[in-house]
Amino acid sequence: MGYLGYLRFAMERLASAILTLLGVSILVFTAIHLIPGSYEAVMLGPQAPEAARERLREKYGLDDPLPQQYMRWLLAFLGGDMGIALCRSQQSIGQQACENADQAPIIAEFARRAPATIQLAFMAAAIANLVGIPLGILAGLSAGSRTVRGSSRAISALGMGIPSFVLGTLFVYVFSVHDLGLTVGGYVPLSEDPEANLRAMVLPAITLSIFGTALFARTTRDAVLTVLAEPFIMAAVARGESPRQIVRRHVLRNAAIPVVTVSAVNMGYLLGGAAIAELLFSVPGFGWYVLAAIHKRDYAVVQAGVLVAAVAFVAVNLLADLAYAIIDPRTIRRGRG
Amino acid sequence: MKVPFRGDFLSRLAVVLLISLLLLGFVGPSLPVGDPAAIAFGPRLSPPAPGWLMGTDNLGRTMLPRVLQGIRITFVLAATPVLITSVLAVVIGMLAGYLGGWFDELVARLADVLFAFPSLLLGLILVAIMGPGVRGITAAIILITLPLMVRVVRATTLTIASRDYVAASRVSGASLARLLLVHLLPNIAGAVVVQATFTISVSMLIESGLSFLGIGVQPPVASLGSLVQNGSVYLVQAPWLALAPGVFLALAIFAVNLLGDGLRDRLDPLEAHGLK
Repeated sequence: MGYLGYLRFAMERLASAILTLLGVSILVFTAIHLIPGSYEAVMLGPQAPEAARERLREKYGLDDPLPQQYMRWLLAFLGGDMGIALCRSQQSIGQQACENADQAPIIAEFARRAPATIQLAFMAAAIANLVGIPLGILAGLSAGSRTVRGSSRAISALGMGIPSFVLGTLFVYVFSVHDLGLTVGGYVPLSEDPEANLRAMVLPAITLSIFGTALFARTTRDAVLTVLAEPFIMAAVARGESPRQIVRRHVLRNAAIPVVTVSAVNMGYLLGGAAIAELLFSVPGFGWYVLAAIHKRDYAVVQAGVLVAAVAFVAVNLLADLAYAIIDPRTIRRGRG
Repeated sequence: MKVPFRGDFLSRLAVVLLISLLLLGFVGPSLPVGDPAAIAFGPRLSPPAPGWLMGTDNLGRTMLPRVLQGIRITFVLAATPVLITSVLAVVIGMLAGYLGGWFDELVARLADVLFAFPSLLLGLILVAIMGPGVRGITAAIILITLPLMVRVVRATTLTIASRDYVAASRVSGASLARLLLVHLLPNIAGAVVVQATFTISVSMLIESGLSFLGIGVQPPVASLGSLVQNGSVYLVQAPWLALAPGVFLALAIFAVNLLGDGLRDRLDPLEAHGLK
């Protein structure tokens, strides 16, 4: 399985990812068209004269057959044109209507908000990795003890069970009542004031990371247990390798494989799931923007947002698949499970 | 009588917790705990006190019966879609795994597509189509949980379908229905039950998340998630409003997860030890 084999595998994966995204785009397009209320009614209001509606439909080609409209939308999207947001500034969630002032291109708004979400996702992923993996290794290596087995099971059930908004609400309460150095809200871009930025981002990052931490701890523990049962571990023991060597050379290296996969799934979840943490801690990110758009029925933003999130998710998974095939070349031969 | 979960303290804890929560949710509201809808039942935003054990909200409604009702709504809204998902997944997954071919390919592709949506956004977009409320959430939970469940059923079916007794039955002329219902179904049932249990915890997370965002259940119905949302407005003056339902919600999902682990160890030992 040389270089060519890997290339073929990579192309297959890429093709499959593109196919998936095409499916996603069709689904999103159809879904948006199923939402009650026509575009003209949203743009012009329910009492607009028929002539004005006609002009608008003409302008955007809304009378064309749906497949044609879909192709036009998709091509524009690929060219970076995601449409225009109905609302200029989408700060508050509760407010239903929006001032129809300067309409901003959606892509500009996404670009402005992406850094906060990406930073949040990376911080949460870092916390989940740094806490979850060592916990999982520890739990796996000392699984002989009943207490460790029981407590790691209970902790992971709790970590995966506490909804992020419950934990976040608890943080908001504790940290806004007591002054503990971290701020609730008050986001500043990283480039302007790194210290203030971190103060504001730590709590949302922890809130967002809790599920991933539990997931990593659990996956790592299971992976370590699986590897420990392999015959080559017994062989290494028989050869007289020290436990430290065995863990470093055999256990960790082999247990890394499932952890990489979960890592990708978690990253995708973080990018899409950041909305709740952003909302709770007033981080002006991508997720919050899409969420506010749903409340304001600004479906152009929703459509673009869901598609962008799906692209990010599929891309991260594709990268994980490719990395995985380098770590464990057997996957190439096995193909898709 | 056989004692379930012998020697498994955590699974027993989970069962006790779940039974207590179900009793609280289904029997609790009919106990004399006050009228959940009565405005000005007590003073506004009062901390827990003898007349209103969980305090009162901004309209002076007593929280205790509202939280008890919320527990019931949360369980019902989580269990209903999971039941539907399980039935659909068993039918689709078994057929895909057993028949293979284009049907299998189609199912795998559709599952990939649904998987590519961040679950919260998929939920949001479905609720946008169906309108907020019970119907929208139920549809959202089914579509979000279906792909994983189908994959589990399909993978388990593949393992079982390659066993000799299935081949023996096939060559001796058993019908497709007989093969699926008599030979495959009983053998994948364990995996389905385990997966369904974990799916209940996922669907509780989705429902409460959507309700917390204000697009889940609509007033006057309240689930634990929407109670947390209502309470979070008064977080600093009256923290119990948000934290009490939050604690019950976390407890419920915690118990379901623990039960899932316990069931996995008993019903699906191969999966439990990573040998599959």
